[in-house]
Amino acid sequence: MKFNLAFAIESLPLILSALWTTVWVTVASCAGAALLGFLLEIARRSSRAMSYVMRFVIDFIRSTPLLVQLYFLYFVLPFYGVTLPSFVVGIMGLSIYYSGYLAEVFKAGIDGIPVGQFEAAQSLGLKRLDVVVFVIAPQMLRNIAAPMGNYFVSILKATPYLAIIAVPEMLGEAMEIASDTFRYAEPMLTVGVVFLVLAVAVAQLVRLLEMRLLKSAKR
Amino acid sequence: MQVDALIGSRCASQRSEAAVDIVSLNKWYGTFHVLRDVDLRVEPGQQIVICGPSGSGKSTLIRCINQLERHQRGQIFIHGCEVSPKTRALHELRRDVGMVFQHFNLFPHLTVLQNCTLALRRARGIARQEAEDVARHYLERVRIPEQMGKYPSQLSGGQQQRVAIARALCMRPKVMLFDEPTSALDPEMINEVLDVMIELARDGMTMLCVTHEMGFARKVADSIVFMDGGRIVEQAPPLEFFANPQNERTRTFLGQIL
Repeated sequence: MKFNLAFAIESLPLILSALWTTVWVTVASCAGAALLGFLLEIARRSSRAMSYVMRFVIDFIRSTPLLVQLYFLYFVLPFYGVTLPSFVVGIMGLSIYYSGYLAEVFKAGIDGIPVGQFEAAQSLGLKRLDVVVFVIAPQMLRNIAAPMGNYFVSILKATPYLAIIAVPEMLGEAMEIASDTFRYAEPMLTVGVVFLVLAVAVAQLVRLLEMRLLKSAKR
Repeated sequence: MQVDALIGSRCASQRSEAAVDIVSLNKWYGTFHVLRDVDLRVEPGQQIVICGPSGSGKSTLIRCINQLERHQRGQIFIHGCEVSPKTRALHELRRDVGMVFQHFNLFPHLTVLQNCTLALRRARGIARQEAEDVARHYLERVRIPEQMGKYPSQLSGGQQQRVAIARALCMRPKVMLFDEPTSALDPEMINEVLDVMIELARDGMTMLCVTHEMGFARKVADSIVFMDGGRIVEQAPPLEFFANPQNERTRTFLGQIL
């Protein structure tokens, strides 16, 4: 079977019909993973006991495969009466899995803030939450924009995993075309190119964000 | 007003009228005994200069006052209110104790103005407009009103330290702590910071300054404290301290730095 460029282009509209799902699942998962990861890291720093608990939680999340976590959420939870729509499970799965990695990134970002910043904030009488939100988080983001962006791209590229739990994202559409026509090369190439374009776009966005963060406060 | 009421209610058993009262304070870093039975009383409106060789515990002492360092034994009172590692709502006590650091510790991601208004707005709950008015007032007092929109990295060391002083003053503290405020400055910038501190002293601010600037000490200090090996070995008014130091170690120290 020869590669048919016309067919590759023909499959584009159907694949793009799932673009929106891929995009918003990615955005929601990035937000969820960042938020959860930040909470895990803040909790890890809150007390000695919590540091042990959270280190275990983070290692546990990072040391089990994403697919296993997804299957667990999708097929095992219903046994216990928890049935969630597939896209909710998908966003939860990606958020939890990547929160473990982002917690580590945040740790590095916070470790990079001079201790004097914490002391100055404390000596002004700011509450703990205000110290985190107004002093620590902004400086942390500046330190870690690049590695965090890498994980956002990873999350985008991990959305095809959600095809196995029937989230109608782009790889799922491509697989459908393939199984209908028995032509794999063209839809796979097309979906690959679409992901490539998206990933480059996300990387550019992150670079812009990083430049803005650095511009607002040159060191 | 509100704060007075708060302290009044929380520290019903007013121990003393002193602004800061330190009673046989002891602190260890592991097995190293940094502070040994330190007693120090600072009356409202007094200026105390603390000096001594490095490692003598001077910074640790003033950092205990707002509990950036925790002590293990002894007591610290701020306007009759005990401060200890067990104090709850430590952040409320810290609002009344301003601190200026050796390395300024301005927030690099905020402008000069925002550095000054952050705690007013978040800790004192003052509206933005009013907070900015207060900040402007103190920035004028430290003579940097024109730099309000700049970021700390765009200022010289002396300017940054003056902003740090303004940031602390904005909270209208009852006591100001200075932890070697001029040690990280280039020589030509030391005076602009000292001038601000001298004015502050003349206005009657209660101040504890760890510094080696003996000219400053001579000019403003009510009392100079000399520390060595975690102890206060001598405390005297400047004239007496410089003219007739009692302790051998004080004499050696003065001989080295004067």
